[in-house]
Amino acid sequence: MPGRLTPRRTGTTPRTARARRLRTAALSTGLATALVAGLSACGGGASASAGNSTLKWTSSYFPAHWDPVVSGSGAQFRELALVYASLTRTDKDGNAVPDLAESWEYNDKGDQVTFHLRSGLKFSDGEPVDATAVKAAVERAQKQKNSALFGDLTSIKSVEANGLDAVVHLTQVDYQIPQLLGQRVLQIASPKAAKSPTELDRNPVGAGPFIVTQLVPGTKAVLKKNPDYWDAENIHIDDVELTSAPDASTVVSGLQTGVYNFADIDPSQADAAKKAGLDVFVQPGFNASNISLNINKAPFDDDRVVDAVRHAINRQEFVDKLTFGYGETTDQPFPEGYVAYDPQSADAYPYDPAKAKKLLAEAGHPSGDIKLDLVIPAEDPQAEIVQSQLAKVGITVTIKIDKNWATPFFAKDLTFSLYGTTGRDSALQTLTAHFGPNGPLNLSSPYEPEGFEAAVAKVRRTPLDAPDYAQVLQSATRAGLESKALVFTYSSPNLIAKSKAISGLPKNPAHIDWTGVTIGAGS
Amino acid sequence: MVRRVLSLTSGRIAVAVLAVIALLALFGPLLAPQDPLATSESTLAPVSGAHWLGTDYLGRDVLSRLLDGSRVSVLGALEVALTALVVGAVPGILSVCLGRAFEWFTLRLADTLVALPFLLFAVAVIALLGNGLTQAMLVTGVLVSPLFYRVARAAGLSVARSPYVEAALISGASIGWIVRRHVWAKVLPPLAVALAQTIGVGFVIVSSLTFLGIGVQPPAPTWGGLLASDLGYLSHRPWAPLAPAVLIMATVWAANLLADAVRDVSGEAGRALVDGRRARAHRPGPAGPAPLGGAS
Repeated sequence: MPGRLTPRRTGTTPRTARARRLRTAALSTGLATALVAGLSACGGGASASAGNSTLKWTSSYFPAHWDPVVSGSGAQFRELALVYASLTRTDKDGNAVPDLAESWEYNDKGDQVTFHLRSGLKFSDGEPVDATAVKAAVERAQKQKNSALFGDLTSIKSVEANGLDAVVHLTQVDYQIPQLLGQRVLQIASPKAAKSPTELDRNPVGAGPFIVTQLVPGTKAVLKKNPDYWDAENIHIDDVELTSAPDASTVVSGLQTGVYNFADIDPSQADAAKKAGLDVFVQPGFNASNISLNINKAPFDDDRVVDAVRHAINRQEFVDKLTFGYGETTDQPFPEGYVAYDPQSADAYPYDPAKAKKLLAEAGHPSGDIKLDLVIPAEDPQAEIVQSQLAKVGITVTIKIDKNWATPFFAKDLTFSLYGTTGRDSALQTLTAHFGPNGPLNLSSPYEPEGFEAAVAKVRRTPLDAPDYAQVLQSATRAGLESKALVFTYSSPNLIAKSKAISGLPKNPAHIDWTGVTIGAGS
Repeated sequence: MVRRVLSLTSGRIAVAVLAVIALLALFGPLLAPQDPLATSESTLAPVSGAHWLGTDYLGRDVLSRLLDGSRVSVLGALEVALTALVVGAVPGILSVCLGRAFEWFTLRLADTLVALPFLLFAVAVIALLGNGLTQAMLVTGVLVSPLFYRVARAAGLSVARSPYVEAALISGASIGWIVRRHVWAKVLPPLAVALAQTIGVGFVIVSSLTFLGIGVQPPAPTWGGLLASDLGYLSHRPWAPLAPAVLIMATVWAANLLADAVRDVSGEAGRALVDGRRARAHRPGPAGPAPLGGAS
């Protein structure tokens, strides 16, 4: 009987055959791994290529709209500023400095300002950056149906395009215009792309430091450096991957593993970020949160009830519990130290629950008599603090979450709500938004505190470089703070965690300035 | 049935766990050692004698909030299960008795309801009717009801074709009498299984919605809400999500265990299983060890 049924291959033993199979398997695995890696690299074609300095920014304020006119002047303007430049920008001292406009001058009367644009600039679609583009941007912000900015441009009557000179005719003397037309209010889009605002929302085209190469709405944007940006030589970042931040508790893990190298984080995550060896810092800002009261409705139509609320609020509790000490208290629509902050008005209504109770009793409201609905758009621990603080003086607050909150809030239908502002480039704009008769953040419209209108007019008439500008501005703040409609509470911090490979950011409170920022290896 | 379920170890465990949860729902708010809404300066405090499970981000006692929040979670789950039972089982039985038109209509309706994702639908209902758990749970119960419809219908069909029902019909018995006398007894066990299972599903739904901050207005505590808020402070209190998560898991597990136990003891096979166990329990033990290799 033969020992085997199949012929033996010459020179091949079972051991060598096994070894060959193993080698073949190892080689196949290696090839497959290389292939997968290669294909992955191809699949991520929109991602930045290796070796370039890439900013991987995850943000809680990923823009819902990329048309700056629709997006408005909320916190997401910082992300839009990657794509869009504006006529001016604000420096770290709060002054308007050149951006697309290299200079500007007012006429003698102060009701006309001419911006001189830099020559040779182009939008990323090849359209020239000229006065016609500025005129189109202003008119779009004033007239587009879904514009969130029209209320900010009431001082502008018309814009005359004259080559590279944009002549802005004003409805009144207003020296705030160079500050107003900064990044929050006039990020300029290509007029050709903006002919279809819907398309612009999907494919943003600006003349900013970066160009969008891929946009997944609500999720991710990939950008590359704009070589035609006027200050391109000082932009040292080649690519940007901007993503919508996941749950706050997972951002730090993403930073640790290199999925991101830059993120705005919740104060509750600051310790974890520090322990992870990340750079954690507070970028200065103009943030201020407030409790909005409608004095046209009971019980706030009684000044004593308003004053009771003012005295019932312990601002330090907001700072301690919500910002983990990174924020600061404020009783004005700006943080302390800002040019418009009025030291004379500081602490006008100190925390005094006993006095609050007394005021309520005088107004005829025994404990538990006042029941209020605090309407907010989403769950917010701030509301729970307000609720517990007012409960201590005998006001019962029920928190109501209304996903459609914006409609009744801006229609001034609510009685009691919360709001937080990231500020404006123009301090006067911040004041009029909060205290003006038609201010979007004045829940008590058309109410306006006495003397505010005159104070605002005086600020408008005061050139920004006038020696008494700060004093005039602070007087307007003082007049505004006579308003019964707002109780300011605290300034939340712009807390950022970043990889140490990213150099420090300029400490500019107005915006995130990428000028001169470098990204080293290993980020 | 209850006695038979309790004769199984798994049944006893499930009933014990669910009884504890039911007691928490009934007396939890009374047992809470502190005001669950009272904030303090001691935020994110660790476990201590004053705060057995520490405090949350506003300095509130977590144990008190867990105890206080148990009622909402339990009532929500029961609301889903009972709504589904009533909305599903009754038409399920009637579809066997009330003719082809009713049968066709209810079958199509059940098919339609199955196609709707109940969690998303609950979110949509809250968006439409305002933030409240009751309406969301009622709607979810309706969407889960096809389970009961199918179970009741299947059991009803099997009974309806049996010779004794046909004999009763020939003898002139009314439909109502037949349902009460013959169908109900056959339908109950599978419905009990489905009910226990649905209570577990209801818990998951309530916890999911409250985790997302939907259905309950803050600062009212819920197990899902506590889990969500704890996750935001993991770096400060990494163990904090354990308590609500374990409670949710244990409740869902116990509900499913009960469903299994009810299924095991239902019908003739279940009776045989229980009887067999009893018989083994009462059989006198062997005199000595069985010889190696088997007893033969």
